[in-house]
Amino acid sequence: MLRQTKITALDGPPRLAGQNRIRLLGLCFALGFAAIGGQLVRINVMKPADDLNAELAKHQDRIPRPDIVDRFGNVLATDIAVASLYADPRKIPDVDEAVEMLSAALPDVDAADLRRKLLKPRSAFAWIKRQVSPEERDAVYNLGIPGVAYVNERKRVYPQGRLAAHTVGYVDMDTKGIAGIEKYLDNAGAIYTASLADPQKQVAAPAELSLDLRVQHVMTDEIGKAIEKFKAIGGGGIILNIETGEIVSLVSLPDYNPNAEEKVFTRDQQNRMLSGVYELGSVIKAVTFAMAFDYGTINMNSKFDARYPLVIGNARINDFHAQRRVLTVPEVFTNSSNIGTAKMALETGLERHQEFLRKVGLLDKLETEVPETARPLLPKRWSRIVSATAAFGHGFAVQPLQGLSVVAGILNHGKLIPPTFIKRSKEEAEVLAQQIVKPSTSEKMRTLFRLNATEGSASKADVIGYRVGGKTGTAEKVVRGRYSKDHRLSSFIGAFPMDKPQYAILVMLDEPKALAETYGFATAGWNAVPTAGKIIERIAPMLGEEPQFTEADLEKLAKLEKLEKQKKP
Amino acid sequence: MLKIVNAFLVVAVLVSGYALYELEHATRGEERAIASGKRKIDETREAIKLLKAEWSSLTRPERIQKLAAQHLQLEPTRAQQFVNLEDLRTKVPETVPVKLEEDGKDPIGDILKKMQ
Repeated sequence: MLRQTKITALDGPPRLAGQNRIRLLGLCFALGFAAIGGQLVRINVMKPADDLNAELAKHQDRIPRPDIVDRFGNVLATDIAVASLYADPRKIPDVDEAVEMLSAALPDVDAADLRRKLLKPRSAFAWIKRQVSPEERDAVYNLGIPGVAYVNERKRVYPQGRLAAHTVGYVDMDTKGIAGIEKYLDNAGAIYTASLADPQKQVAAPAELSLDLRVQHVMTDEIGKAIEKFKAIGGGGIILNIETGEIVSLVSLPDYNPNAEEKVFTRDQQNRMLSGVYELGSVIKAVTFAMAFDYGTINMNSKFDARYPLVIGNARINDFHAQRRVLTVPEVFTNSSNIGTAKMALETGLERHQEFLRKVGLLDKLETEVPETARPLLPKRWSRIVSATAAFGHGFAVQPLQGLSVVAGILNHGKLIPPTFIKRSKEEAEVLAQQIVKPSTSEKMRTLFRLNATEGSASKADVIGYRVGGKTGTAEKVVRGRYSKDHRLSSFIGAFPMDKPQYAILVMLDEPKALAETYGFATAGWNAVPTAGKIIERIAPMLGEEPQFTEADLEKLAKLEKLEKQKKP
Repeated sequence: MLKIVNAFLVVAVLVSGYALYELEHATRGEERAIASGKRKIDETREAIKLLKAEWSSLTRPERIQKLAAQHLQLEPTRAQQFVNLEDLRTKVPETVPVKLEEDGKDPIGDILKKMQ
């Protein structure tokens, strides 16, 4: 280069042209290097970041499905990684040997069936076993058979099986929720599901339900036993936390196993507590009483003439346990007098009765997180006879949960809290509360409920020490368009402890039969009530309720103890 | 002068090339370590999930109840069995119902030993 410049300097005019050409060439090279340099910087500095983001995005494109746990974190539903083993039969050198090794590693695989699959001519793919455990996968992988491999799949499992299956629901083959909370997580509760996911990590916090598995089990156990004992066709029950509206337990029997491969369930297995509507019968009297107290139609000393059946048009309303005398308000309640309650509703007035039922939500569909809910069945026209029968729970049908929720609201100082399956604090519940009756009305209703358990139809649920209160109901079911005396729905709605109600309980038995042991009776007092008593005795300590005893209680206990001692030797 | 500059540039190219290669190599190593770490985290997470599911299945109240009925002589607690701390002194039974140490028996311990 040095020499060239010297020459060009000597030559004169051509020098200039040559120099320009070199400059141009130099500029081109400089641009080229700059481009390469820029590219290098882009690739080395920018690109890795892009790659990383793309990698993260791949995992984040779907929000991971959250686990479902009960209020104490016990797993109800979770995703597990499973491997599915498959084979390419063309690549297996010795099928007989492979079958022998595989059936030794997987004891539940049928060897003959596997051999037939692998010996099928011209086949390039065959499942050996789908959804195997990691141990099985490793065992097969370590056999090292050519042509045998696995793919990873995700599977939703329900470790608790049937327990709480109606609440949790289930998913289809593509892990899309099709029932219960599982469906809620995908549809109505999509925002809730998204709130559980942590965008920084690929994990989602579990969905915490309000259920308590121990209580759930006790309910399933006792109601199952009752169904068997009274030869009922089904049954169910709910425990509701009165102050927060949390559903601590919801049982509907017969239930189903959500782990079943084929999810074909019969109508009988539906959720009776939400998807079924029932005429709840006398338990609805509690609502009528609360209404009459609240509008000032009655007070504790009012009297009702129950000597003769109530005649409206060509309909006659009679009492099941006919007393044929003038009853006071507490007596109307404890004797469950239809005549008295119907008169109460009529005195309050058609308009106000309807308005009150609307206010407490019995005329509308109750929506919770579990999507399978039924609309109430209501009379088309509101007349005197409709009002009179609705007063004692006939002629309109609601979800059992609706009935319990309203009673819980009445007992909770008149504050109705919408029931929920998701864990909720007292403060959150306070915001949602709606005043349906005055606190003084609530006070009176508590007295009546307790009275009915100490000396009324619910006495068999009065577990000594836990101050239970409740109302029974036996409704005749409509069979082929007529009320049938042989097809009954017996129910109990109660709460404990009655001096400061914490938990409301509903127990329902569908078509219980009379037994010799129950002296031929098939009314709620003989089946649903003792079942509720057994449940309360088992769950009250779990729920942290402290027993308290009065003098009378202690005497009763002493007597019981004596009886037991006599029995033993 | 230019010779020196050129020589310096050649050395610089070689050194920076080597440095770049070293850096790239180290980065790849780190990336591999991160990837394998992530994979391990995922695997462990899966294993935890599986164990939790298994635990949940093994602690099904229904199963526990059956086992308890089989191996233990226990009944559900009754209301009258709860005693306030203040009343505890008046509730001590005359004869102690369980005398494990005296007899040298430990039924629960025996069951545990058998399981091991």
